[in-house]
Amino acid sequence: MENKSTSRRQFLAAGILAGIAAGCSSKKNPFDKYAGDDVKASGETVKLLSVDGEIIEMDKAFLKPVPDLPTISNSEERKGINGKKFAMVIDLSRCKNVGACKTACNHAHQLSPGQNWIKVLEMQDADHTAPYWQPTTCMHCDSPPCVKVCPVDATFKRQDGIVLIDSDRCIGCRFCMAACPYSTRVFNWGEPVLEKEVAEQHYSCETSIPQKKGTVSKCDFCPDMARKGELPHCVSACPNGVYFFGDMNEDSVTNGAETFRFSDLIKDKAGYRLMEDLGTKPRVYYLPPVNRNFPFESGLENESPEDKMTH
Amino acid sequence: MENSTVLTSEQITSDLLPQKFGKRGMIWTGILLLFCAFGAFAYYRQLKYGLVVTNMRDYVSWGIYISNFVFFVAISLVGSLITAIFRLANVPWRTPLTRISEIIAVSAITFAALIIIVDMGRPERLLNLFIHGRLQSPIIWDVIVISTYFCLSLFLLYITLLPDISILINAREKLGKPFSKLYRWLASYWKGTTAQEKIRNRCITIICIVIIPVAFSIHTVTSWLFATTYRPGWDSTNFGAYFISGAFLVGAGGVVVAMYIFRRYYNLEKYITEKHFEKMGRVVVLLALLYLYFNINEYLVPAFKMKKPEEAHLTQLFAGEYAPLFWFAILVGMIIPIFIMLFKKGRKPLPMFIAGVMVVVGAWFKRYLIVTPTLLHPFLPMEDVPASYHHYFPSWEEWAIAMGSLAGVLLIITFFARVFPIISIYKTLTDKNETQQSS
Amino acid sequence: MKPSNHHKLFILVLFLFGTTISKINAQDSSAAESSVNLRYFANNNNIQYLLVQSRSKVGKKFQPLPKRAVQVYLDSNRAEDFISSTVTDETGTAKVLIPTTLKDQWLNSAKHKFIAIMAATPPDEEKTTILEITKAKIEIDTSTTDGTRTIKVNVKYLDNKDWVPAKDVEMKIGVVRSTGILSAGDKESYTTDSSGTTSVDLNKDSLAGDLQGNYVLVAKVEDNEHYGNLLIEKTVPWGVARKAEKNFFDQRTLWSTRFRTPPWLLFMAYSIVLSVWGTIFYLVLQIVKVKKMGRTIRSQT
Repeated sequence: MENKSTSRRQFLAAGILAGIAAGCSSKKNPFDKYAGDDVKASGETVKLLSVDGEIIEMDKAFLKPVPDLPTISNSEERKGINGKKFAMVIDLSRCKNVGACKTACNHAHQLSPGQNWIKVLEMQDADHTAPYWQPTTCMHCDSPPCVKVCPVDATFKRQDGIVLIDSDRCIGCRFCMAACPYSTRVFNWGEPVLEKEVAEQHYSCETSIPQKKGTVSKCDFCPDMARKGELPHCVSACPNGVYFFGDMNEDSVTNGAETFRFSDLIKDKAGYRLMEDLGTKPRVYYLPPVNRNFPFESGLENESPEDKMTH
Repeated sequence: MENSTVLTSEQITSDLLPQKFGKRGMIWTGILLLFCAFGAFAYYRQLKYGLVVTNMRDYVSWGIYISNFVFFVAISLVGSLITAIFRLANVPWRTPLTRISEIIAVSAITFAALIIIVDMGRPERLLNLFIHGRLQSPIIWDVIVISTYFCLSLFLLYITLLPDISILINAREKLGKPFSKLYRWLASYWKGTTAQEKIRNRCITIICIVIIPVAFSIHTVTSWLFATTYRPGWDSTNFGAYFISGAFLVGAGGVVVAMYIFRRYYNLEKYITEKHFEKMGRVVVLLALLYLYFNINEYLVPAFKMKKPEEAHLTQLFAGEYAPLFWFAILVGMIIPIFIMLFKKGRKPLPMFIAGVMVVVGAWFKRYLIVTPTLLHPFLPMEDVPASYHHYFPSWEEWAIAMGSLAGVLLIITFFARVFPIISIYKTLTDKNETQQSS
Repeated sequence: MKPSNHHKLFILVLFLFGTTISKINAQDSSAAESSVNLRYFANNNNIQYLLVQSRSKVGKKFQPLPKRAVQVYLDSNRAEDFISSTVTDETGTAKVLIPTTLKDQWLNSAKHKFIAIMAATPPDEEKTTILEITKAKIEIDTSTTDGTRTIKVNVKYLDNKDWVPAKDVEMKIGVVRSTGILSAGDKESYTTDSSGTTSVDLNKDSLAGDLQGNYVLVAKVEDNEHYGNLLIEKTVPWGVARKAEKNFFDQRTLWSTRFRTPPWLLFMAYSIVLSVWGTIFYLVLQIVKVKKMGRTIRSQT
């Protein structure tokens, strides 16, 4: 094996190039810091030139724009990312029901027509209060009622706070759907509509692809993206920066363009969680729809035809 | 008993021996088989295409399969009521009713288990319940208690059958060959010695004691499948007792209906007498009042407060889309039967039969009302889903499977009555001897 | 005029303006223009590299053009100045590093041109882009006075053979978080003065660090017209140490896995199941006993 100094230098180089990797995506490398942690060294090295004209040796694996992450076993997927506590903040004052989050999410998770993991709800709390748009994802509760009732550990709570579903284990009893007060869960009643290559893909709980007939699915906070150092699809797709995603252990959240200290944001804007009285302890926080960027009515045009019918 | 005193032992035995299907029996069985086959075909389609053949969708994710399941679990409680409670309370007139109630219990609990598999999106993963079973989930509690109750009910049925099968073995010339092998396999060891009789009696007593809490738990746990969620209409501490009182009512109603039919078509007027109807009528009235009491509790208290999530649900039931069904279930399932059976004339066999049918039909719809309207009233508005998700009416496949399962229960009972005496011969004979001795 | 009329007029103008814009957009979208883009990166004054982006402009938006062959040269497109030949990935990006063979030429000058040529892919023609970069260095320094923590960042560029201060360089200064850079002060970005320096007082008290209480400060220059992308990091022990959550999977709750059932539930379930099934087992034994009795009677007769 190589001596210590080389491997240390390699380690440094790994850190730098992990930054490069994240820089490749159009977003402003949101997960800079730890994206490289899981990259597998190939053992092959190349020689490169530094700014000062020095020659530096480094592992080939870090040269790819997107590093190859090792495939994760089911038991690793069930454990989650160590040291993380993911959370989301949804700023209701910025939402005008554009629906880009939904489209991006549905596409990324290969949902069948009619299915939505994110539902942008038209809310009005009382007769004379102001209506507003409320994007609703899975709340990834810390006391998840859906996980409590699952008879087979098919839905589970990970150490990074995410609640996932293992569609290879789910028996399709739908008790979790009845238990979820946020009605966030979606069922594959028939054979999912998938392209052949997607359908043949190896199933992973983290990507939730491919969807499986007779099993439950829901918003998964895109843990596969987090592992790659990227933001969930809804966060990066939203043109108005409604969604903020981050790690509570780091006390910060970002929507890609802006980064806030989570505790300050929640304090300053009086953040709250849905149905606090049920004791589910959601990991999704909402900022109230005050000082809005858009009038409520401007979102009505984007409403889906089915919902227009039922109002 | 005034009627049985005039009967000789030989007559009792020959009256109560299982009879071959007559023409009517054949038609009846044929119709049931047709229903079952149709249900099986519907289930084949469901297996092939998935649960999409049902009209259940993301909001109404449980439909008539689950309400049918609750109905079956409810009606199966009657086995413990008539046999165990009546035995422990030493109710003298129970003899002709016990076996009927036991076979209703066994067949209903069998189909309860089957219908829950039908409801699963991935029935082929049934074994996951045992490989990955999670004790925190009320479904696992239900799996445990239902399988326990099934075993206990079957055991009770078998052990009370023992002396009768022995009689059937001895009556081979009369019965012919068809089931003689089965009889011998089941009970050839039964000689009716005092030692054997002593053990058997003790076993029955033990089962009767054990089966009561197990029966209570099957329906309590079934109610917890709903009550452990936050949903309006389900989130109730009253649910266990509410379900059990309802179960006793529908079970008793079912026994009344079965009593009438067996009495009529097996010519058992001398055994299931008007007196039995009279007594059962009183029992049913009591149970109906009890269930009515729990219903008032269940609806009046939340309606008094009208919490926002409950409001939409309750107004739908009282005056909205589900109002006709709701008032039908309350009136036909409870109030009208109570009024029929409060009067002595109403406790005659025919009005009792009608009241029993009303109780059972009302109870079936009641279960539907417990499951479905709640699911249509979630906490957050129903949006961003296809329009069809906002309503629920079962598809023909669901109806076919539900009706097929009901037919299946009746089929098991019918076949059972073909093979075994539906009234215990042995017990009727002992009762006769006892009354003769005491008189 | 009443104010409401003003409003109406304003809305009308806005409307007309909006429709014109949307028409222009519609025209643009029909003619998507392909292009190649170059970005220069030097992180921690270490290995510099280039990002090649093949993309097409549809309306106002860029869309990635995957799988495009791009040739990159240093200063001129002569064969000896060839840096690399690459193919962009699914996201239309590729990373290019400067080979050691160009060492002498790299050290030769303070300014360099990078030339990227994207091969013609019908219907798109060959596209070329040139990026000019002045070599620059970025330094970060921290100090604490009267409990105020200050971050000082200095940028220099190479002028012939001398490193001189670079002024008016805009950058982000903050704390590295997995979700981006959390600004150290109140401002979004900071700009260097004539001494090439900018400083910011950290206003994030007791911010969460790693397990040891460290976190990483970063200064990041993004797509500067002269210097490209520069980034410098420094680890400081200013954070609050995060407590490692060791017992997450040991919790016995109702939502834990089947291996972590709460003890009270286990006790209740097992005691009930064992007593009932114990009774059933006893009953079966009784039946077996009755059976044996029956057999002995049969053998006697």
